[in-house]
Amino acid sequence: MLHFQLNVHTGVPVYRQLMDQIRHYVASGALAAGDALPSIRELARALAVNPTTIVKAYGELGHEGVIDIRHGRGAFVAELQPVWPAARRRERLQVLASQLAVEARQMGASDPEALDALRGALAELNGSNHPTPPNS
Amino acid sequence: MNEPAIAATDLAKSFRGGVIAVNGLDLTVPRGSVYGLIGRNGAGKTTTLRMLMGLLRPQRGEARVLGHDLWNAPRGIRQRVAYVSQEQQLPPMKSTAQLCHDLSRLHERWDSALAGKLAARFGIRADAPLATLSGGDQRKVAVLLAFAARPDVLVLDEPAAGLDPIARRQLMEEIVDFLGDGGERTVLFSTHIIEDLERVAEHVGIMDRGRMVMAGRLEELQTGMRRVQIIFNGAAVPEGFRVPGALRSHAEGPVLTAVLRIGSEAQLDALRATPDTRVADFPLGLQDFFIELLDRPLAETSPSI
Repeated sequence: MLHFQLNVHTGVPVYRQLMDQIRHYVASGALAAGDALPSIRELARALAVNPTTIVKAYGELGHEGVIDIRHGRGAFVAELQPVWPAARRRERLQVLASQLAVEARQMGASDPEALDALRGALAELNGSNHPTPPNS
Repeated sequence: MNEPAIAATDLAKSFRGGVIAVNGLDLTVPRGSVYGLIGRNGAGKTTTLRMLMGLLRPQRGEARVLGHDLWNAPRGIRQRVAYVSQEQQLPPMKSTAQLCHDLSRLHERWDSALAGKLAARFGIRADAPLATLSGGDQRKVAVLLAFAARPDVLVLDEPAAGLDPIARRQLMEEIVDFLGDGGERTVLFSTHIIEDLERVAEHVGIMDRGRMVMAGRLEELQTGMRRVQIIFNGAAVPEGFRVPGALRSHAEGPVLTAVLRIGSEAQLDALRATPDTRVADFPLGLQDFFIELLDRPLAETSPSI
C-alpha cells in the first residue's frame, strides 16, 4: 500500500492531509488513472484513524473529480483529472505563490533563488511522470 | 433515534473534605461517534465517567446513557454499555479464558471468536491466572473483555495508560475496527495522549477543574484555532491594544502573540488590516491549544502565600 504520512500535531485535519497526499501521488504519477485506492476499512486500520475520516477524504476527492467512487467496488483514480477553471486556478496559485514569496524573502533568498526552487520542483514532477526505466 | 448516546447536564460531585471534583458539567456524545475527553490530572474526568456509568451518584444534575440513568437501568441496557476503568479489578485467580467463559453466559452478544482473536493479537496467555499477568497485560484483558461484549457504547478511562507503543497502536486499531463493524458504535474515552485523540475522535471535550471549558467537533477546533502574531512597526505594542476574542495573548517588545478561536477567515482579515503592522497566523494543533488554554501562570492557579 502507498505510504501516507500523517502528522497529527500540526492542527491540519487528518482528512485534509490525506487529500493532499493523494493529490500529490496523482500529480506525481505514483498513482495513475484507474488505480485502486485502499478500501476505507483497510486504510483506516493501517493509519489508525477513524473510518469516517477516510470516507470524508474520499468523498471530497470524489466531489472534486480526482477519484471515482464506484459503489460496492471502491475508489479509483479518475481517468480524466479535473481541469480547474482558469480564474479559480489563478486565484489558488496566487495564494500559494505569495506564501512562497513571503517565506523566501524572510529567509533571505534572492528572487532568482526562489524562482529556481520553483522551477526545480516543477521539473521534478514532470520527470516523475515519465520515469526513466531502471537499468535492465 | 436522534437521542444522543450519552447526555449529561449540570453534573456535580464533591468528595469528603470538600474537594469539588465535578462542578456543573455538560456533555453530549452523539450516537455512532467517537468522543475524546482531555484535561489535566484532577480535572474530574474519571469522576465524570464514573457518574455516567452509574457507579457514582451525582449530587446534582443528570447523566443518561442510551436514554437511561445507569444507576438503576435494567440489565438489558447495562449490557449494551462497556466500561474500562483505570484501576480494573479483575478476579486475580481466574484466567482470561475462564473469565470469558463466565461472561459469555451473562452477555447476550458475547463474541467468543473476537475474544480469542484479541487475546492472540495482544499476546495474552489465556490460561494464566490474571494475577500472574503484568499490569499492562491485565489492562489489555480488560479492554478485550469490553470489546468482546459487543457494546453499543464503549467507555474507556485512559485506555492507553501503561501500554507500550505497540500495544497502544494495536488498541487504536481495534477501536477503529470496532467502529467499522457495521453497528452504530459510540466510544467515549479519556486520554492524555492527544495524538490518539486526533486520530480517532470526532468530538473533543476539554475539562478543567470540574467543568467543560471547550467542546466541539475536532475538525472545527482544529480549523478554528489560530495562533496570531502581530508585529508592530514601533518599538512596543501600543498601550491598550487588544486582539478581539483572544483566549490568551502575550506582548513582548513590538510582538504580540495571541491564541484565538475564529469563526471565519474574515476575522483574521480584520486583524490583518491593523495599520502599521505585519500579521502572520499559524494553525494550532490540539496539543498546543490544550497547553495554551490550560497552562496558566502560577499566579493565577494558586493563591499567593
